[in-house]
Amino acid sequence: MSEEHLQLRPTDRPPRPVNKKMRLKEQGGLSAGLMLAPSLIFLCVCSIYPFIWIFRYITYNYDGIPAHTRFTGMRNITTMLSDAKFWGSVGTTFEYAALKLVFIIPLALIMAVLLNQKLKGSSFFRGVFFMPTVISSSISGMIFTFIFATGNGVLNGILKNAGIINQPIGWLTDTSIVMMAVIIMSVWAGFGNYMLYFVTGMTSISEDVYESSRIDGANGVQTFFHITLPMLAPVLKVVLMLAITGAFKDYEAIMVLTNGGPGTRTNVMFLYIYNLIFGTGSNATRQIGYGALLSLVAAVIVGAVTIIYNTVAKKLDDVV
Amino acid sequence: MAKNRAQIVYSPRQKVGRFFLWLLLLVVAILVIFPVLYIILGSFKENQELLLGGSNIFPAKWIVQNYIDAWNQANFAVYTKNSLYLSIGVMIISLIVSSMAGYVFSRKSFPGKEIIYGIFTAFMFINVGSVSLRPLYELATNLKINTSLWPVILFSAGGGQATYIFLCRGYVNSVPKELDEAARIDGCAFFQIYYRVIIPMLKPVLATIAILSFRQGWNEYILPRVFTMTNDSLRPLTVGVNMLKNAGDGAAAWNIMFAGATIAIIPILVVFICFSRYFMGGLTAGAVKG
Repeated sequence: MSEEHLQLRPTDRPPRPVNKKMRLKEQGGLSAGLMLAPSLIFLCVCSIYPFIWIFRYITYNYDGIPAHTRFTGMRNITTMLSDAKFWGSVGTTFEYAALKLVFIIPLALIMAVLLNQKLKGSSFFRGVFFMPTVISSSISGMIFTFIFATGNGVLNGILKNAGIINQPIGWLTDTSIVMMAVIIMSVWAGFGNYMLYFVTGMTSISEDVYESSRIDGANGVQTFFHITLPMLAPVLKVVLMLAITGAFKDYEAIMVLTNGGPGTRTNVMFLYIYNLIFGTGSNATRQIGYGALLSLVAAVIVGAVTIIYNTVAKKLDDVV
Repeated sequence: MAKNRAQIVYSPRQKVGRFFLWLLLLVVAILVIFPVLYIILGSFKENQELLLGGSNIFPAKWIVQNYIDAWNQANFAVYTKNSLYLSIGVMIISLIVSSMAGYVFSRKSFPGKEIIYGIFTAFMFINVGSVSLRPLYELATNLKINTSLWPVILFSAGGGQATYIFLCRGYVNSVPKELDEAARIDGCAFFQIYYRVIIPMLKPVLATIAILSFRQGWNEYILPRVFTMTNDSLRPLTVGVNMLKNAGDGAAAWNIMFAGATIAIIPILVVFICFSRYFMGGLTAGAVKG
């Protein structure tokens, strides 16, 4: 405010005819409004409108043809409560997220620690590890469909040549293995992201701390657990949260790789919902109203997981 | 700091240890590169060789016919053009919209500013998944703009703008206000300050946003998939190549799909190799702000 008064004082600028219109322009209210308008329109159209739209349809049966729209009251909710396929997909999502985190976080952390050793070619390796994150998840999914193919996939080819297996493994067709294939793909595609957060976090740890620990005779493992990890705790907390919410939202690459199959083995909740809303996959008819309800429930589940994680992380903070 | 580091002398035992750590990095790097290399080299194989499988990732006989076929018969010329329109469109719109909004948020106080900013933040965390594409799709159909790529470009830019706005606002905050004032005394209006003073100062963050939004547009999949469900001529590469896979006779066209996937990843890899520092810088900058 103060600088606006300042600039309106006649001594601060050459004298000009001052009228009301001029003053408004100089304060920039109108131009500021115009400059903010595009982003506000985007916010309303792309974020707020769809959100409200969902609430409108959760009590309707809607298949995409407006004339078919019927108010069904609580029926979507009762359907949901007894929808074993949906709750199964929620379970699958938890399984997928847990497995992904168990592998991706340690891998990202270890690679970051190694990169921090300033070995030869560190920045090259860092670039290589980050590379998969710039590739579209749909293309990653596709690449791994070829790699994991049972008959002519290169992975089975290599394993067979090395004499590790005799029979080709049904990476994408065997229900007991397919989740592993999905996890391999998503860890490949995502760990570079988290690695980079760790690397950035580590550069802020003072070189002197390492120096003195070396003088005290700490070995690499001791240094990691007593210095790097504690000093990295704030970064680790953020990364874990990003990784958790990210894992719950994954479905694009899974859609391409397995499309939820075989059966419903890798059918994560957002994939199940996608198929309901767009009438693809095993759902021949669209159930948009029901899908809207499930989307809301899924968002609440992700939100609840985030809140639980934050609470636990805070508690741990107080203890340690 | 690098100098400090250079003074460290490693004992022979440490040198061996460091060599094994380096070896571990190399192994992981090979595993990471392998899928990409496999798809690129595979795109030069004959389809017969691909369908036969095996462990050799190098083509027995190098051919470029796959690319010629993909380009001419499988419509990849159109897909590539669409991908370019989509990513450049998203990039330009993101740059303009987010730099203006970031500037206003940083420099202007107005009633409801905190609330609007809060809504932006909230919608970064509220994720209802693909369902929000349904109303947008119907909106585009009702407005009769669904026969062009515009709805895809606009909705992609609109969906991703929050991060970019935060980046810009943070950066404008770090530009001294004295510069604005000096420009104002020289007779610049609010908008003139934006493009004469702020934009030149914002160059580093604008480069980051340009790269990130280009990648966003180039890699967009579900959004264009939904919007081009019935219109093959609007599909970008990501959708086009995956439609081949779903086409049923997918097994027969591995060579086209390999070539298509390669066309879809090479440009973004080249951009990444040239501007990797912006990719990585943008990631961490966004994390600090968010």
